[in-house]
Amino acid sequence: MSTGAKKRIMREYGECMSDTPPGMKITFDEQNMTEWEILLDGPEQSVYAGGHFKLKLTFPNEYPFKPPVVSFKTKIYHPNVSNDDKGSMCLGLLRPEEWKPPNKVVAVLRLIQTLLIEPNPDDAIEPSIANEYKENRKEFDKTAKDWVKRYAK
Amino acid sequence: MDPAGQHRDMMYCHECHDEWYRDEHGLTCPECGSDFTEIIEEDHDPRDHDDDDDDSMPDLEDHHPQHPLHHHDPFQPADDPEEGDISRLQWRQVGPGRFSVTGTVYRTVSPHGQGRDDGGANALGGFASILNNMIGGAARGQPAPEDAVHRFSYTSSARLAPRDAINPQAHMEPVDEMTNVLVGLMATFGEAPGGPNAQHPHGHPPHANGPGGGQMPFHPILALLNGMRPGNGTMGDFVYSQEGLDRIISQLMEQTQSSNAPGPASQQEIDALVRKPVTTEMLGSEGRADCSICMEEVNIGEEVTELPCHHWFHHPCVAAWLAEHDTCPHCRQGISKHERPSNTADGNTGASGVNNHGQMPGSFAMGDGPANDATLVQENWENSGSSQQDSSSGGIGDRIRRGLFGPPHR
Repeated sequence: MSTGAKKRIMREYGECMSDTPPGMKITFDEQNMTEWEILLDGPEQSVYAGGHFKLKLTFPNEYPFKPPVVSFKTKIYHPNVSNDDKGSMCLGLLRPEEWKPPNKVVAVLRLIQTLLIEPNPDDAIEPSIANEYKENRKEFDKTAKDWVKRYAK
Repeated sequence: MDPAGQHRDMMYCHECHDEWYRDEHGLTCPECGSDFTEIIEEDHDPRDHDDDDDDSMPDLEDHHPQHPLHHHDPFQPADDPEEGDISRLQWRQVGPGRFSVTGTVYRTVSPHGQGRDDGGANALGGFASILNNMIGGAARGQPAPEDAVHRFSYTSSARLAPRDAINPQAHMEPVDEMTNVLVGLMATFGEAPGGPNAQHPHGHPPHANGPGGGQMPFHPILALLNGMRPGNGTMGDFVYSQEGLDRIISQLMEQTQSSNAPGPASQQEIDALVRKPVTTEMLGSEGRADCSICMEEVNIGEEVTELPCHHWFHHPCVAAWLAEHDTCPHCRQGISKHERPSNTADGNTGASGVNNHGQMPGSFAMGDGPANDATLVQENWENSGSSQQDSSSGGIGDRIRRGLFGPPHR
């Protein structure tokens, strides 16, 4: 990774520290600054309220020319998070072809928060969950809350 | 009809079906006194409608000129598809070289194939030739007698072109050649294109097609496969359901994902970019600006590279990006020659116009706090969208917006 990229990550970290989005805690390992650990509280107005989700944000070597990679370490029932051990999230500005260098980590973190409040079933990574979200919202809410209790406490 | 060789008006009573000569009894029926009578004329014989229950002149039938459909029996086992059998056939040109055909043909043939006459066979051939004529009438097929109900359903749509916001779209072959569509249709009618006498490219003799043979037809799927070989199509070019179409579209999108973004800009083009020192006007509202790629602050007098869209960056920063993507990191406008004039952005008025003039990188990074970042991303997209509306597919902007702000209804 170029020194320019490292510098930028440092800058972005400073920016996030000075103005962390509410309900979010960022842990940063100086030995490995390309992997951030994020502790995210389920937004109050969402079905994930009360849950604490651990996420990993990985910066590729090509950052900022390639987007950071977001993965949920805590299991979450969500149309836009893959329901496997990766827990990956890949949509919107996180898509490689849609990413552009001026995008910043803060925008990524906000995107994640927004998606917890309002999932985007039309751009889902888990079609069955997306379908349930659209067709049977009650059942979706129930399972999502159940998973919060089981995995995100 | 003129018994005496000279013309005499014949009268007919609709009430009692009586007939008489007008010069003998006049216009009123001599039998029942009804006024509901009519003069029988050669081209208008009211008895035609009524002679079911009137056997008085059975011989007249034979003197009528034979109607072409005289022996037509719509209920006999005919080979021609009735209008109702061909349903929902839509043939639309959706773009240059792109067609969309949707249709379903039900065809029912009784085992007594011998009974059909030439008219029946030609009707189907006629339908096929209509289709053929639409592409120049090269091939002509004859239907084979078949003892089955064949259902042909075809759905197609144009290929998705890769997104290229700036450059004219490269010419793409449509997914489905018109001929492939026809081949599929023809095959369903039991005949490979080219007619029964066409030599099959794979050396198989054309299958026997004698009238009244009553042979078992090809299995429809086999017929389709068989029919497709002569064309340049492959099985993957055909979809038979909405799900199939969706699957192919997803596949295409995945395949073209890497090529979705414009390719790299050439080194000459990168080298030819304008370099200029940062001036006061280029700074953000706070009098500061930075390169939005490395986020280093840029001072007045420092040399930066400006793209045709007026966004500027450190030269090494933007060169690294352009070497992989011919787009502005901000607005995605390309730097290549065939782009739109660089001043299209000037068409924007007010704040967005200002935004497009160098202030944006600064304000994006420093002028506004992180709280506004998401909004800025959206604004940037709206700016670029308005200057590139027709060339950009808009999909990516929409997707980002969707990702950030939810579905488009908002």
